[in-house]
Amino acid sequence: METKREAKRLLSMAILAGKIMLENGAETYRVEDTISRICNARSFITYSEPFVIPTGILLAIGFDDNILTYIQRTKSKTIDLNKITLVNEFSRNFVNTEMTIDEGYRYLEVIDRKIAYPNFVNVLFGGFAGGFFSLLFGSSFIDSICAFIISMIVVKTNNILDKVNNIFFINNFIAAALGTLLAILSVKLGLGNNMDKIIIGLIMPLVPGVAITNAARDSMLGDFLAGMSRGLEAVIVALSVAFGVGFMLIIFHGGM
Amino acid sequence: MHYIMQFIYSFLSTAGFAVFFNIPRDSVIKSSFCGAAGWVVYVISNEFLSSSIAGTLLAAITVGLTGEFMAKRFKKPATIFTIPGIIPLVPGAGMYYTALAVIDKNFANAAELGTEAIFIALAIAIGIIVSSSISRALTNLNLEKSK
Repeated sequence: METKREAKRLLSMAILAGKIMLENGAETYRVEDTISRICNARSFITYSEPFVIPTGILLAIGFDDNILTYIQRTKSKTIDLNKITLVNEFSRNFVNTEMTIDEGYRYLEVIDRKIAYPNFVNVLFGGFAGGFFSLLFGSSFIDSICAFIISMIVVKTNNILDKVNNIFFINNFIAAALGTLLAILSVKLGLGNNMDKIIIGLIMPLVPGVAITNAARDSMLGDFLAGMSRGLEAVIVALSVAFGVGFMLIIFHGGM
Repeated sequence: MHYIMQFIYSFLSTAGFAVFFNIPRDSVIKSSFCGAAGWVVYVISNEFLSSSIAGTLLAAITVGLTGEFMAKRFKKPATIFTIPGIIPLVPGAGMYYTALAVIDKNFANAAELGTEAIFIALAIAIGIIVSSSISRALTNLNLEKSK
């Protein structure tokens, strides 16, 4: 009876660890790896089999002669690489020390609530990324300041929209369209000179770099299900950004 | 001088992406270094090979290998070093110019630019696969030796 309670606790702890990683943008193979490492760390578990897809986790563990199975659907898709690092460190600690399962559970709950940077720092650096990127593409100094300010607005808009709904196609579309509108206005008002360079800078915080990276790394290890779905995510995000930019350009410059 | 300026700008840009993706504070500078190294490789190879696809492939391999090396060295997941470094290589400019060409009804141009953007994205994926396969092979080799 005691083992069963322990096994249940361990199961829900491993699922929580996996959920934190998956919802913050880890590759599926890393989530599987971490879950099975956590489960196999305690000797009363005789068998463990995680199955992770980008939208959910299935985990079966065996003890004595019972098997427990749990299904967890994951939802939000933010990118917080700090949490992934922390869970990774936690799993290493959990395996190497005699940490109790309740302690581990509490530790994970702390990680889940942790905020790496305050929101305004995040937005500010999103702006830096866009501004310096347009400098990298050879824009003038004034254009890069425009790109910096507009990128900050784009990032902030995307953050707000993510809280309101979770249809990322619409969110990226609106953010890209708003950014393009502001870029066109800044050129019309005579603040910026080169509209192309400003727009290239401001769409960089929206491009699907994480999806491409994770799709490649998952496919490499034979996890083609995750690879395909992340690849499709990258395509949809890229299309929505392109549509958002194109939509505003059509309104202001005609064509089509 | 040109390369030094490119290095500085890409370093700062990657640092921006690093904080934007919530990378742990002690790793921001390391991952910015990965990104800047990748970008300089991209600029140099773009000049000598005059092909942005080949340049992106080499740059992605550079980012991947430096990222994997740092991951081993500092015991952190490799993605926290590679993701910010990869972002400047993603064909955002290609996407934009493709959209512009479609709007101008210049479909021949759009097909050319769009294909190039798709191939650049694939080159990034292949670069990451190559670099992490190399690092995996080296780890396995070390394990074999230590047995």
